[in-house]
Amino acid sequence: MKKLNPNVSLMLFVAPALVVYGLFKLLPAVLGLFYSTTDWNGLNKTYNFVGISNFIEIISDQYFWNSVLFTLKYVVVMVIVANVIALFLATMIESINRGKGLFRTVFYMPNMISMIIGGYMWMFIVTKVLYYMADNWGLTFLDKSWIGDPRYAFIAIIVVASWGSVGYLMIIYMAALQGVPTSLKEAAYLDGASGWQTFWAVILPMIRHAVTICVFWTLNSSFQVFDVIYSLTGGGPGRATQSTALNIYEEAFKGNIRYGYATAKSTVLFVIVLVITIIQIRIMSKKEQEA
Amino acid sequence: MKKFLALSLVICMVFLTVACAKEPVAEAIATPEQPREAELNIMMSIPQFMDQWDTYVQQFEAKMLAEENIKVKVNLEMPSSDQYESVLQARLTSDDAPDLFTLHSNNIGTYNKAGYLTDLSNDPLATKIYDNVKSTVSVDGKLLGVPLESQAWGVLYNKEIFEKLNLEAPKTLSDLENIVNILKENDYTPFMLAYQEQWVPQLMTALTLGGKVSGDIPDWVDRMNNNEGSYSEVTDIFGPIDLIMENGTIRAMEVGSEAGAADFANGKAAMFVQGTWASGTIMATNPDMKLGVFALPVNENEDCTSVNLSTSTTLAVHPDAKEMELARMFANYVLDDQDSAALFQACSFNPLATSHTYQPASWVADASSFVAAGKSYKDLVLPSAVTDEQGKLLQEYYVKTITKEDFITRMDEVYKNSNK
Repeated sequence: MKKLNPNVSLMLFVAPALVVYGLFKLLPAVLGLFYSTTDWNGLNKTYNFVGISNFIEIISDQYFWNSVLFTLKYVVVMVIVANVIALFLATMIESINRGKGLFRTVFYMPNMISMIIGGYMWMFIVTKVLYYMADNWGLTFLDKSWIGDPRYAFIAIIVVASWGSVGYLMIIYMAALQGVPTSLKEAAYLDGASGWQTFWAVILPMIRHAVTICVFWTLNSSFQVFDVIYSLTGGGPGRATQSTALNIYEEAFKGNIRYGYATAKSTVLFVIVLVITIIQIRIMSKKEQEA
Repeated sequence: MKKFLALSLVICMVFLTVACAKEPVAEAIATPEQPREAELNIMMSIPQFMDQWDTYVQQFEAKMLAEENIKVKVNLEMPSSDQYESVLQARLTSDDAPDLFTLHSNNIGTYNKAGYLTDLSNDPLATKIYDNVKSTVSVDGKLLGVPLESQAWGVLYNKEIFEKLNLEAPKTLSDLENIVNILKENDYTPFMLAYQEQWVPQLMTALTLGGKVSGDIPDWVDRMNNNEGSYSEVTDIFGPIDLIMENGTIRAMEVGSEAGAADFANGKAAMFVQGTWASGTIMATNPDMKLGVFALPVNENEDCTSVNLSTSTTLAVHPDAKEMELARMFANYVLDDQDSAALFQACSFNPLATSHTYQPASWVADASSFVAAGKSYKDLVLPSAVTDEQGKLLQEYYVKTITKEDFITRMDEVYKNSNK
């Protein structure tokens, strides 16, 4: 049998996945670029080509930029909060001898249910359980307008989103932590380094690749945040907690159902995420160290 | 068993041939030609009534086989209602459209422009629908759908509390203020507030704008559509809105529509700005509830105090339906003289056609009495972006992040943008 070029056999192996990816991800994305230059409403059989007028309109769309600002705020807070908690949990679980599997499973579990369902579960906690505790147990600091006050609504959203994503990040960090050679840690111990010093000077540099992946993942998924906010506050009160994805969704499926304009907005969001991700990967990969 | 079946079949056949041989005239009836097979695709947004409609579809299949000699296979689809619209839009644009589908009557204009609705004005059903309901599903005098869920609605109130305090339904805003004061003196919370979902606060604008516009400035919507009006003409709407918001239950932003309906049924408040469609939840929570409906007053002009008459779920026929005849027959069968009343009653829909002679529930009767007295108006047809924005801004108005003036300027802007 003739030997296949290794590249060809490689291509054959990834072909099924590639076809699916191309058909259901890439093609709609490219088509989306096209629709962003039309005034299609998602319903009519015909539509007009409108050039870049959708993009010009975006420049003065105050609601859109407010939602971008809100999303940026959300991304910054999420990247820090979720990663710090995940790394903390991973280090804690790695340092115990018994019950590792149990804790790992428990913290990973929220990741296994859809965030829409998670959001509705938390909705119950936030609007019923917390008030019950406030009214009956005297925990009056819980008596806040968790959905109605934009500040507290933001906290509620961060709590629920972290709850849902920390488990996944934690698993990545745990895998990385297990890859840190014991010899290095022992050497540091013999040199008299405290636990904190060992963590900063030895462990953290060794798991930097995991930090890159996790920060990239949180960044990317936070920019697209939709389900948590949709199920928890619906973007309200008014538009106070509306993320960009939610703003795009409402443009496309509610109100004046403007598909064309909504795809133009998604294109803008795509460009923003692309630029930020490229910058982030450049910076982070420079700092990564080889073990 | 099989043998028995085969035998009886043979006997039947023999009898039939004998009968035919004897009397050739009977042939047409005795040996009908093979029934034609046909398929009909129906998509509806009311999965809560799946059983009722399944039965009705079976009745239709039987009727078609008996009367038209068509063996119809009806495929009835009911996607969950929150996904329904996106599913429908995807199917319509991808040439996979159902022959009949339901839509909200507010969308009739948009769907009509896109060419997805059939004119049913000359079908027998057109003469059966009550005129005031018919106007809610017609555009330019063309009947474009069969109304299914149609309601007259205003403010729901707890009749027991009202009777106990000798209160009567208000006719003017000062009547309502009076009621609020008496309720508060007797330690009742006047209004149930459930503002977590934006469509619920929006109901207040639907009612107040509807009342104000129909009673005082009937040309407002037309002028708004031509960029010649403003929300500053209808500032009266804040009269009742402020009164409701100031005298309602606490934590409104944390209460959803269902929870609100349940709380209201349990007597947490005396009044609830919510349509009669909430009666299902209310009566399930408290079957002994005495539920009433009154029209929300907007100002001191009694002409502005009317109930809102609107149609939500409407059944439309797709103009490209493969079995057009059959699709129309089904549309007509929905308002069939014999069978329709039972269906509408089983789904607890309100009567809307001459054949619907069943006794409606007390709250429906309440609202209908307003309609009968001429105190009703057709739900205003505003662009849906405007309706959505009203809900959003009322949430913000409630949490006090915007003022009345902000509300007016922002609504004017949104309305102008929708006119583009």
